[in-house]
Amino acid sequence: MSAMKETLVNPIFRNNPIALQILGICSALAVTTSMQVTVVMCIALTLVTAFSNFFISLIRNFIPSSIRIIVQMIIIASLVIVVDQVLKAYAYGISKQLSVFVGLIITNCIVMGRAEAYAMKNPPLPSFVDGVGNGLGYSVVLLAVAFFRELLGAGKLFGYEILPVVTEGGFYNPNGLMLLAPSAFFLIGLFIWALRSWDKSQVEEPDFKIANHVNVEEAAS
Amino acid sequence: MSSNKDSIKKTLIVALSLCIVCSVVVSTAAVLLKPAQEINKTLDRKRNILAAAGMLEEGVSVEEQFEKVETRIVDLRSGKFTDEVDPERYDQRKASKDPARSTKLSVEQDLAKIKRRADLAEVYLVQNDQGGLDKLILPVHGYGLWSTLYGFLALESDLNTVAGLGFAEHGETPGLGGEVDNPSWKAKWPGKKVYREGDVEIGLIKGTVDPSSPKASWQVDGLSGATLTSKGVSNLVQYWLGKEGFQPFIENLKSGEA
Amino acid sequence: MGLRKILDNMEHHFQEGGRYQSWYPLYEALDTMLYSPGSVTRSSAHVRDGIDLKRIMISVWLCAFPAMFYGMYNLGFQANDVLAATGGEVGGWRGSLIATFGGYDASSLWDCFWFGALYFVPIYFVTFVVGGFWEVLFAMKRGHEVNEGFFVTSILFALICPPDLPLWQVALGISFGVVIGKEVFGGTGKNFLNPALTGRAFLYFAYPAQISGDAVWVAVDGYTSATPLSVVAAEGMTAVQSQWTWMEAFLGAMPGSIGETSTLAILIGGAALLLMRIASWRIVAGVFLGMVALSTLFNMVGSDTNLAFAMPWYWHLVTGGFAFGMMFMATDPVSAAMTNTGKWAYGILIGLMAVLIRVMNPAFPEGMMLAILFANIFAPLMDHFVVQANIKRRLARVQ
Repeated sequence: MSAMKETLVNPIFRNNPIALQILGICSALAVTTSMQVTVVMCIALTLVTAFSNFFISLIRNFIPSSIRIIVQMIIIASLVIVVDQVLKAYAYGISKQLSVFVGLIITNCIVMGRAEAYAMKNPPLPSFVDGVGNGLGYSVVLLAVAFFRELLGAGKLFGYEILPVVTEGGFYNPNGLMLLAPSAFFLIGLFIWALRSWDKSQVEEPDFKIANHVNVEEAAS
Repeated sequence: MSSNKDSIKKTLIVALSLCIVCSVVVSTAAVLLKPAQEINKTLDRKRNILAAAGMLEEGVSVEEQFEKVETRIVDLRSGKFTDEVDPERYDQRKASKDPARSTKLSVEQDLAKIKRRADLAEVYLVQNDQGGLDKLILPVHGYGLWSTLYGFLALESDLNTVAGLGFAEHGETPGLGGEVDNPSWKAKWPGKKVYREGDVEIGLIKGTVDPSSPKASWQVDGLSGATLTSKGVSNLVQYWLGKEGFQPFIENLKSGEA
Repeated sequence: MGLRKILDNMEHHFQEGGRYQSWYPLYEALDTMLYSPGSVTRSSAHVRDGIDLKRIMISVWLCAFPAMFYGMYNLGFQANDVLAATGGEVGGWRGSLIATFGGYDASSLWDCFWFGALYFVPIYFVTFVVGGFWEVLFAMKRGHEVNEGFFVTSILFALICPPDLPLWQVALGISFGVVIGKEVFGGTGKNFLNPALTGRAFLYFAYPAQISGDAVWVAVDGYTSATPLSVVAAEGMTAVQSQWTWMEAFLGAMPGSIGETSTLAILIGGAALLLMRIASWRIVAGVFLGMVALSTLFNMVGSDTNLAFAMPWYWHLVTGGFAFGMMFMATDPVSAAMTNTGKWAYGILIGLMAVLIRVMNPAFPEGMMLAILFANIFAPLMDHFVVQANIKRRLARVQ
């Protein structure tokens, strides 16, 4: 069972899909302005990843390799549409804020990546766990980003006022940049920085090194 | 097994059965959830209208509050009610982009910088307890600094006093033009007069309104530091309450000819 | 040579294994500021020149002085002019210092200058201390020397702030500029964006209410005064000309960011930079030509709805941050293009973009900052193409 646990926990920090593999950045920029929306997005993505992994793994021995990507896409797309419909029916306000980004889970590289890399080669249960783990890894980053963006950008968390803002008589001057998409880049960058300071093995080899100066003797020889 | 799963026959069978299963799942979900979605959609629109006009009360269900509101369609060309389209299905924003259902505005007419105006517009009539007109809510939109502001303007039953103004959608600079959302600024609107001797007089001014000025009841404080947004709001209110907008309809409504 | 001796006696504490090893960057900075460094180039080929990075940076710093001093005077002049009309006074510690050493007379050179200094010096001080803190922290952590590039970054950043920018925002802006704009990429020489502009862009998007709009350009609370560029966007060229003559705009008697108003003062500093060959004349010429070309084109095309189309090039030159950006920001040797052809392309791109943003997008009356940052991003690409073209041409010659 420890292998199972590893499958679940590893993607959260050790092999985080966003921070290490830099996948799924698009929705990380778009839906992280408020915690409430982010939580819904995280749940949606985790469910889709887990169940698409599960179903794909279930029929992995029947999928002809020539159309395997299409088969994966159909399963993922169906799950996404179901999630989207459910959100529209039961969480209309949030689904309106998420707009196209629920639909875009289809193109989220994490979902496709896990299906192709893991579910096609492993039995259903571990695949399901792997999907949950990667969904959680995605969620950790998104929630961290959304926490700072909502707190610093609007002085709120989950819509509740934490730092009273100046225009309503408080002391906090909200940082408008945090409400714009680029701030998520900075925050994800800082997150990766912190993560790699903690786990040095994630640091990549430099692409090139600047050579030392050649001194006279060496140059002459 | 792997030797024959790539055969054409197998491929077709897998593809076909997968498609059938998935389409059944998706369409079942869509059909089952449709009623709930429809309810949500209308609820959301009603809430927006009430909230923008500053009439939304917390704790009371939106449905209940909206019961007194009647949606009608007005033909802006004649200024009269029309039953040409079903208010439930009419989308004014789409209509204003359709040349067949809208009018192009000349530069002089186009105060609110909206380029085209839909011929038909939605209006919301709020009834009081006796069944008479309590408030009139008009949809307004226009260009601010760098976005189109969509909002609702509510008038009292005398059709000359503002009951509230709010924007449901805009993309102005937070802290400057974005202050159109600030409740304390919105609170400056109720009670202001619109028409003066038949012409639209209401507008935003730079700085703060001097209460002793004879024009004070037609003037609203500008948004500090946001000249262009203030001008945009001023223009869109003047446009929609003016001759190109709802003024003919308002006059008809007053004289009972609408 | 008493001082030299003191420094030498201290040195072993800072060397590897010494007590204050991690403080070496500070020691080195002080030492080389006072004395020429003893290190000698040992590699086979090098250019012998009396100038090094430190002297370059200090020259740029000095060249910003005319703009800085005029900026302080103008800040005071604009505010005193308003105060004379409204009869108001400044409160707080500034008020008491003004009462003690100066006054509110707009015609007095000293009164205006003193007033401006009370606003500018705190901004500069905060910039210097906070930015310097990050600089030293990273230098100590990474074990390299503190770099004088920061002198330039700090004064340039302080000069492009509006007069009464809150000091905590100054601190936040310079922190972002130095850390995200420069240090995370490896420090001076490795940053691809101009750190001072990065800091300002951060503030611009984070706190637009304090750095754009109409209320921030004169250091009097509650007084709104549009800059010429926002007047053009809102009311057209004639409205600008009725408020300021071209000569006034050229000399700088108008509201704006502290150091950017006087084109004359900037050109004096800029001329010195060009003569010393610190600033590249190709970049400056490129920026200027790009601006003239596009603004002339807009003049000829004309527009009924967009009033800024009619703004002629000589007004573009004297308004907003154009001159300051052209002389001090675009020419930053680290973030600009390196090759000669690349410099032309880089300069022209800035000129074009600045006018394009100013005219086409009324929400950004100041296009210069964004134009330079935009071109910064493209500078390495331009150099790449120039180098590749060169290689191709020379290869063709060999074959």
